[in-house]
Amino acid sequence: MGKYIWKRIFFSILSLLVVTWLVMLLVYSLTDRSVIFQTDDVWNKRSNNDRILYEYTQYQKYGYLEFENFTNYNKNRWLAVYGEDFDSSDEYVDAKNLIQKVGDDYLQNPTVQEFIRTYEEKGYSIVRLDPIRYTTGAKQLKPGGTGYLLAVREKMMISRLWDYVKGFFKVETTKDVKDEALTDRYIRIEKDPYGLFAVVGSGTTHKYLIYFDSHFPWIHQNWIHMNLGVSFTRYRGQEISSVITDSQGDLKTKRQQYPAQVGSDIWADTAANFHSLTYNTGELTDAQKAQFPDKYTNATYRRTGLSMIGNSFVIGLIATVIQYIIGLPLGILMARKKDTWIDTLGMWYIIFIMSVPSLAYIFMFAAIGTSVFGLPYKFANAQVQILAYILPTISLALPAIGGTMKWMRRYMIDQMNSDYVKFARAEGLSEHEIYSTHISKNAMIPIIHGIPGNILFCLTGAIITESVYSVPGVGSLLTKAINGHDNGIIIACTVFYTTLSLISLILGDILMAKFDPRISFESKGGR
Amino acid sequence: MAVMREEDLFTFVSNDSIESEKIIAPRYSYWRSVFRVFFRKKANWFVIGLLVMLILCSFLIPLFCKYDPYENVTNANMYNQSPVQAMRLTGGFSFKWILGSGQLGNSIFYEIWASARTSLLLATICAAINMSIGIIMGAVWGYSKTVDKFMLVVYSIIANVPYILLISVLVYIIGSGFWSFVFALTITGWLGISYFFRTQVMIIRDREYSLASRCLGTPIPRIISKNILPFLTSVIVTLLATELPSYISMEVFLSYIGIGLSASVPSLGRMIQEGQAAFRTYPWAFWPPVAIAALLTIILYVLGQNLADATDPRTHM
Repeated sequence: MGKYIWKRIFFSILSLLVVTWLVMLLVYSLTDRSVIFQTDDVWNKRSNNDRILYEYTQYQKYGYLEFENFTNYNKNRWLAVYGEDFDSSDEYVDAKNLIQKVGDDYLQNPTVQEFIRTYEEKGYSIVRLDPIRYTTGAKQLKPGGTGYLLAVREKMMISRLWDYVKGFFKVETTKDVKDEALTDRYIRIEKDPYGLFAVVGSGTTHKYLIYFDSHFPWIHQNWIHMNLGVSFTRYRGQEISSVITDSQGDLKTKRQQYPAQVGSDIWADTAANFHSLTYNTGELTDAQKAQFPDKYTNATYRRTGLSMIGNSFVIGLIATVIQYIIGLPLGILMARKKDTWIDTLGMWYIIFIMSVPSLAYIFMFAAIGTSVFGLPYKFANAQVQILAYILPTISLALPAIGGTMKWMRRYMIDQMNSDYVKFARAEGLSEHEIYSTHISKNAMIPIIHGIPGNILFCLTGAIITESVYSVPGVGSLLTKAINGHDNGIIIACTVFYTTLSLISLILGDILMAKFDPRISFESKGGR
Repeated sequence: MAVMREEDLFTFVSNDSIESEKIIAPRYSYWRSVFRVFFRKKANWFVIGLLVMLILCSFLIPLFCKYDPYENVTNANMYNQSPVQAMRLTGGFSFKWILGSGQLGNSIFYEIWASARTSLLLATICAAINMSIGIIMGAVWGYSKTVDKFMLVVYSIIANVPYILLISVLVYIIGSGFWSFVFALTITGWLGISYFFRTQVMIIRDREYSLASRCLGTPIPRIISKNILPFLTSVIVTLLATELPSYISMEVFLSYIGIGLSASVPSLGRMIQEGQAAFRTYPWAFWPPVAIAALLTIILYVLGQNLADATDPRTHM
C-alpha cells in the first residue's frame, strides 16, 4: 500500500501544479489587468507619468511583470564608481537632466545607451515616458509629469509559478530580521514569562516559535507558514492565509501582565496575545521599553468571533454530522419499506431537494425559521450568537440529508438482491439482522469513500447559504474575488480547493480499503 | 345445397424452405413499448400537461405581450407596487399586473414568462450540446485505451479548476450575452458527462456479446453504435433528466453570485437575485420567479426520471 500511496501523492502534486499554472494562465493573461486600479485611492490621486509608474510598480508587486527604472539604474551605476558623491558627477547629472528633456536627445547619452543595451539583452523592452509640460518648451512640469525611462519585461508564466511554489512554505530562521543592531541570534527552548516551555527564537520574525497556552488546540506554532499569496484588491496587500484564519469580531480584552512586568503588581486590560510577538524594527517608546524585555513588541489581538474559515467549518461540520446521523438511517428505512408510503414520501423529498434551485429553498427555510421559530436571520444581528448558527446549519444539512438518503437507498436496493442476502434469509436470519448487519455494511462502502471529502470541503464554505444569512465565512471569498478581479485570492482559492479535493480522494480510498478488506491497492499480478 | 368436398375447402401449399426458417414472435418495437409504459402512468399525463402549458406560456406570452423593462421607468409611482395597488393605478383588473410591479415599474407577470423562455432555451441548448459532445467523446474515450490514458489526465486537471472560476473568466472575456453564456457552460460542461459515460461504456465494452462481435470483425464505429449505445439508452435519459434542470439551477446560482446573464436578457436568476434583497417587503417580486424555477426543474426532473424508467426494457413486460 505504501508505494501506491506515494505514487498517488506524487501525481496529485503534479496535478496541483498544472492546475495552478492553468488558472494563472487564465487570470493573468486573459483578463484585463488594469481593473485592479478601479478602487485604488493612490492610483486616483496620481496623474500622468506618475500614475503610469505607479501602475508598473503595482504590476510588479502582483507578479505581472518586472521592470527597472532608469533613475535607479543611473544612481546605482555612478554610486559604484564615485561613492557617496555620485550626485555631483557629470555623468550622473547629464543623464538625469536629459531624461527630463522632450525628444530623442537622451539616446545620445552613454549611460542611457548602456542601460538600453544591458536590458535589451535580457529581453526587456524599453518604455520612454516623455516629460509632460504645461506648454511645449515651458519649464514647469505638469503634476506627475516627470519623464521616465523604463525597461519592462512581462513575467513568464512558468517563472510566476516557480516564484509561487518557492514562496509557498516559509520557515522562519534566525536571519529573518534585517536589523544590524540585533547581534544575539538563536533558536532554543526557554521558559516563557508565564512559566511554560516554548521554543523561542531571536532574529526570527516571531519570538515564540512553538508554545503552549490555554486556547484550543493548546499547542501552537509560528515556525512554518503557508503563504497562499497576497490579496490584490479586496484586502489590499494582506496575506490571504491570515485573512481567512484571523479571528474576527470585537476585541477580547483580558486582565493580564506585559512580559517584562510579570511578577510585579502592574496589570493591564488588553486583548494582545503575547505569544504572537513579532520584531519591531522601529524605535521603541518608553512605555514599550518598560513592557517588553526586547524588541519583539508587535502582538496580534484576540477577538471574540471565529475566523472566516472557522465560521464556515463549524457550520459545515455540524451539518455534515447531521447529514450522516439522519440521512443514513432514513435511507436504510426507505430501502426496507420500498414501495410503501414511507418510500414515496422520501422520494418526493429527494426530488424536491435535488431539482429545485438551492437558492429557492434556502430562502424558504429562512422565511419559515425567522417567522415561525423566531430565529435570527442575519448573522450579525443575532442577540445570542449560538442561535445565529442554527438556520445556516439547517439550510446546509437538509439538502445534504436528501443526497445521503438517495444514495444509501440506491446502494441498499442494489445489495438486496445479492446471493448472500438470499442465503442469509434461507438460513433463517431475522430481517432486522439482515438489514442492519449485512446489507447496510456493504452499502456503506461507497458512502464511506465520500466522508473525508465532505468533511474537508466544509473548509471552503457554502456560497449561497453564507451570503443569504450574511455569515462571515470563506464561502464567498472566491466569487467576490472574481467580481473584484483579485488574482491573488483567485489563485489561493484554486490551490486550496484543489489540495482539498486531492487529499480527500486519497483519504477516501484509504478509508474504503480499511473498511472493506476486499479492496487492495497492491496489484496481484495477472492481467 | 351441395356438400363441398374436402378438396374444395383446402388447398395444398408448397413447402417453402425460406418461409420455414422464420421465427414467429409477437411484434416488439422498442420505442412503442417505451411510450406504452410511460403513458400507462396517469401522473405522467398530468406532468406533461403542466410542462406543455408552461412551454406554451413562456413562448406565446412574450410573443404577444412584449416585455419592456423600462415602460414605466419615468413613473416612480409604479415602482414596487403590490398586485392590488398596481391594478388600481393602471385602472382595473388586467393579467399584466396580476403579480405586481418590479423595481422599475415593470410588469412581473410578463417578465417571468420572458425569463422562463430564456431558462428553457438555455437548458435545452446547453443540454443538447453537452450531451451530444459528451456522449460521442465518452463512447470514444471508453472504447479506446490510448484515448483513455490521455483523457484521464486532461479530466483530472480540468475537474480541479473551480467551475465558477472557469465560467466567470470566460463570461468576463467574451461578454455575458446569451450565446457567450451558452459557450461558457458548454466548453467544459461535456467533460463530466463524458467521464460518466466512459465508465458505462467500459462496462459494456468487455461483455461477451461485444467480444463476439469484435471477433467476427465488426468495425468499431458499428460496435459502438449498434452494440453499446442502445444498451445505454436508459442511462442517457437518466442523465438528461438531471442535466436539463441543472442548467436552470446553474443559471439561477450564477446570476445570484453576480456572474450570470447580462441585464439585457430577462432571466429567472436575476429576478430572484434582485428580489431577494427585499423579499419580505416586496414578496410578489421574489416568490413567483422562485416558484416558476422550482416548478420547471421539478417537472423536468420527474418527467425525465419516469421516461428513464420506461426506457429500461425490463419494465416492458
